[in-house]
Amino acid sequence: MNQYARLKVFSSVYGVAYMGLFLYSELYKVALFRYYPVLGRFDREAIPLETAGPPILWYSWLFGAAVISLALTAIVPRSWAERLGRTWVCGIPAAVLLGIIVYERRWFY
Amino acid sequence: MIQVLLILHGLIAAALIGAITHQAFSVLRRQPSASRTSFVGRYRAVNSPIFTNAVVLMFAATFVLGGLLYPRYRIDVRPMLEDLQLRAANGIFESKEHFAAVGLGLLPVYWLYWRPPLALEHAPTRRYLTWMLAFIVWWNFLTGEVLNNIKGLFP
Repeated sequence: MNQYARLKVFSSVYGVAYMGLFLYSELYKVALFRYYPVLGRFDREAIPLETAGPPILWYSWLFGAAVISLALTAIVPRSWAERLGRTWVCGIPAAVLLGIIVYERRWFY
Repeated sequence: MIQVLLILHGLIAAALIGAITHQAFSVLRRQPSASRTSFVGRYRAVNSPIFTNAVVLMFAATFVLGGLLYPRYRIDVRPMLEDLQLRAANGIFESKEHFAAVGLGLLPVYWLYWRPPLALEHAPTRRYLTWMLAFIVWWNFLTGEVLNNIKGLFP
């Protein structure tokens, strides 16, 4: 368990980072990059819908969350990671899932 | 090609749902009086750790296939849902993509807590992680099925 304790950091951070990036995109209409399936290419800039079709931002949230989680996993000392208990490891993802349910209720009204 | 990917995505998801449900039932608290000869008793009395690597691999494979299918959904399906004003369908798909991401992030720690030897003091953590993953898999499976058959369900 101790050898791989840093995995606990990765899993605790990933969902939070993903939702953070998603909400930031929602609020400010920005993303690290967008994928335009009609054009079949990635772009950092927002291209008008009429020219490029609908963009996909999901890949950028996944990528961004992976980078943030891997960076924190590398930075956090193993002794700290070992101390992460059930409350963190289960509580954070559970809170993120609950947050998703609460936020996505907007589609049902 | 897209049809092959979609079928493969569905087949692996079905196998995943079987594996994670077995494991989720097996980590329920056992009542001392519970019979091991009943169907439920036998369903729960499996060697749970053997599902772990399969669950991780199948979740990752389903996720990658879903990621490959996503552009087609964005171009063909989502505009249709918007035209039909099926807001709830759009909403459940958006939840599906978020839940899938959270599930992907959970895989390392899920794998860690299911690594043998299984410490007894980590049993509750294993249970909660398995239930969360099972919830995500079930939600995403049902959402996928509903959206795949939406024209038939809401003609």
